[in-house]
Amino acid sequence: MKKAFAVKDQAILAAAELVLAEIKAIGADEGETWVSRNVLTELYYELGKISMVRTVFSDKVSIKLLKDKRKGTINLNSFDPADIKQAVADAWQAAQSAAPDEAEGIAELQENVSFSSGEGKPDLDLMYQQLTDLLADVRMDFPKISFDSIGVEHNYSEKVYANTNGVRLSDEQGVYQLSNMFMAKDGDLTSSFNYFGTVYNDPAERVTESGRVRRLLDETQQQIVTEQIEGSFTGDVVITPGCLENILWFVGDVYLQDGAMISGTSPWKDRLGERVASPLVNFSLAAEHPELPAAGNLSSDGYVAENMPLIEAGMLRNFSLSRYGAAKTGLERSANSGNIYVFGSGETPLEALIDGVENGILLGRFSGGEPSPAGDLSGVAKNSFLIENGKVTKPLSEVMIAGNLGDMLRDTVAVSQERENSGYWLLPWVRVKGVTISGK
Amino acid sequence: MLQDHLHDYVLKHGFTGYTELRAQQNSNRSVVMLNGSLVSNSSGISRGVSARVVKGGAYGFASATSYGDDVEAIAQIVRAASDNAAFLDRHVQRGMPDFATVQPFSRIDGLEQDVPVEQSFLLGVADDLDSYLAERFPRLLSRRVFARVLNMEKLLYTSDGVVSHSFVPRSNVYISMTMQDVDGQPVELYKVLGGYGNFADKFSNAEDYFEKLEKQYELLMKKAEGVYAKPGIQTVILDSDLAGILAHEAVGHTVEADFVQTGSVGGPMFGKQVASEKVSLVDIAHTAFGKPAPVPVFVDDEGTLAQDQMLIENGILTGYMHNKESAHKFGHEANGNARAYDFSDEPLIRMRNTCILPGTDKLEDMIASVEDGYFLTDMNNGQADSTGEFMFGVPMGYEIKDGKLGRAIKDTTVSGVAFDILKTADMVSDTVTWTNSGMCGKKQMIPVGMGGPAIKVKINVGGRA
Repeated sequence: MKKAFAVKDQAILAAAELVLAEIKAIGADEGETWVSRNVLTELYYELGKISMVRTVFSDKVSIKLLKDKRKGTINLNSFDPADIKQAVADAWQAAQSAAPDEAEGIAELQENVSFSSGEGKPDLDLMYQQLTDLLADVRMDFPKISFDSIGVEHNYSEKVYANTNGVRLSDEQGVYQLSNMFMAKDGDLTSSFNYFGTVYNDPAERVTESGRVRRLLDETQQQIVTEQIEGSFTGDVVITPGCLENILWFVGDVYLQDGAMISGTSPWKDRLGERVASPLVNFSLAAEHPELPAAGNLSSDGYVAENMPLIEAGMLRNFSLSRYGAAKTGLERSANSGNIYVFGSGETPLEALIDGVENGILLGRFSGGEPSPAGDLSGVAKNSFLIENGKVTKPLSEVMIAGNLGDMLRDTVAVSQERENSGYWLLPWVRVKGVTISGK
Repeated sequence: MLQDHLHDYVLKHGFTGYTELRAQQNSNRSVVMLNGSLVSNSSGISRGVSARVVKGGAYGFASATSYGDDVEAIAQIVRAASDNAAFLDRHVQRGMPDFATVQPFSRIDGLEQDVPVEQSFLLGVADDLDSYLAERFPRLLSRRVFARVLNMEKLLYTSDGVVSHSFVPRSNVYISMTMQDVDGQPVELYKVLGGYGNFADKFSNAEDYFEKLEKQYELLMKKAEGVYAKPGIQTVILDSDLAGILAHEAVGHTVEADFVQTGSVGGPMFGKQVASEKVSLVDIAHTAFGKPAPVPVFVDDEGTLAQDQMLIENGILTGYMHNKESAHKFGHEANGNARAYDFSDEPLIRMRNTCILPGTDKLEDMIASVEDGYFLTDMNNGQADSTGEFMFGVPMGYEIKDGKLGRAIKDTTVSGVAFDILKTADMVSDTVTWTNSGMCGKKQMIPVGMGGPAIKVKINVGGRA
């Protein structure tokens, strides 16, 4: 929820104002700070038992100051005025030795606003109930599943951004999160690890009511006994939503974000407004989305974020550039440089999408090396199945895939109508042609 | 350096039940230069205190950033941890006995390494190295110099009477160079310099590293003319860096006792042949071949005195890595593998310095023995699985044809099932090298050392058809 700027915990605002006062007092031209107070409450399951309750109280302060476009930054975890004074002095020292960079700066004056979402305090009893329900449901419906670990967390934070241009922004969030790692076991036989993460507001939700969760648990049970394939071939890969998140993260890193753009290695650096992908590709970054509990309303460099398309019907509409990245490249600052992904649904029902594959794989998870700056990537197809003549036939192991990220986006031939929702992404199944698939 | 306020707390309050009380400070510095621009110039301190209390087998943990001479603030953290343990004990009623007590001891390790280094020193080193790259290699499309310091200082008191104060410094510079290949596509190669020790000592003279930059540029030029590897099972010599990550990712994770209990392949293979008899694997605590290991651990975060843990001896799986609870369950000895990254993290079973022990073969003889295969020299990231299947990225390597090194190859990935691959190891070189730049991820990140000789194996290469 957006509202006029107001901070609940005045100690946070006081620390932020103290930082700015110290920045001015020491002689810096400009400066900014993030100050936050956080409480993490975690219930942890491992080795067949709920093993731990953990509470982490943390205060965080990050400071950036500029003198003659020379930058110094520092992080500390104390609101103590003496510690803050020392930290500003250390950042000042660091700036003295730095080379000037004309692209440096801080956010311009804008409307000072606050955002808030979720519950401030965790309900530990409900978290415990949710975890025991999950374990009971899985024992009943998916008896071969064995959880390596499950973390049920509540994260509360109130954070303030303030800078010497007069910008004041804040965000108060309380959100639940469940993460885990699991496998299926039958005697001495074991499947690959699998996992799901989910973000939500209500700990009374039953986790196993999610179709995504049930699919992942069911598929993993089918992966205890796997088969290998002989030789290599070029075929279609159907990328599942969770795996697509991983692939899209690579796309951001190689083609769209500050690092690749500033270094000049992005193969798309001169292609804004051009077609870079199949017309079926619609990929955007969300600040808020009605279907997603997770929100990213503030950018790390002190702006209110907006929903923003990256690729629209295959056309490159925006990069994901910070204020600094924009200044370095001469391009516009992006309205969003976060990582809440939304990929538009397509027109092909999932069943038909798979039915169209003559020879390929259903890619559950990608375990691979970092892609090269050209977008080349290769790795192991984990939690995956062979598709033959339009049918998912057998679970696979020791199968590798190799291709190029840009080629994969260009060679996307179908996008499913159905999407899955993790609470922090909303993604479909995507079918890509022309990927090298190799076995033994 | 951390002041010892825990002693005052212990004197005043003592301990009630099994408790670990830890103050910790992780301090870091980083400087990143991208094409000559200073894109990061930062430092940071993460300091705080944590308590872990065990009640009837239920763990309660709490931490806060408020670490100082206020003994009551420390008492609040211990109470919060006790409340958490009591909440869980009430629900689960496990009724487990406390851990067996150990003989009290007190140790101080590495504090002499705590020598302050100024941010300006890192800036100077990064600038010297970046300037050298810019002047010497104008063909580079981009260059990135990342100087980084991570110092971890821990002060631990346990209810058993163990007191440990340790300091472990790590200082690295990561150099990344990118140029265009023959098709105009960017190719990248990176090199990690430094390791265990104080930054000012490791990088007292940046010129000492210029020769390494020259060699790295030569490799990049070869890679720019490189070819895609052939996909499928190949005869491959994994150079030391890759053998080290093989030891860590492919084997190490499967013999961490928590993974064993959840069903990793390390469980049913205990006492069995899992590798060729030429392969022995150990997780070294603090001293390797007479020198400090990359990440020395003298006392772990449960207060266990750290010792080397043999994992594979002449091809037989002989040991697991444990914390106190798993050691008790298996009837094994805990040797100091319970480690936490930050003050706010609980100890987990972690590797320290995992190393395949050296063999007797010469690298040149190993290359000469390969008719058609690859010599893979560098690695980047890696992952392991419960099945023993692993992968790691390979940014640099060469073809081997008729016993001779051939063309360089482009980025690729190798994978396999650890114990299957190690059974194919028929040659092991006589020289171990270490890497000390990696962070292992398992709920928390943590620094680890990885070492090994070159080994010759058959492995799946993710090339292009």
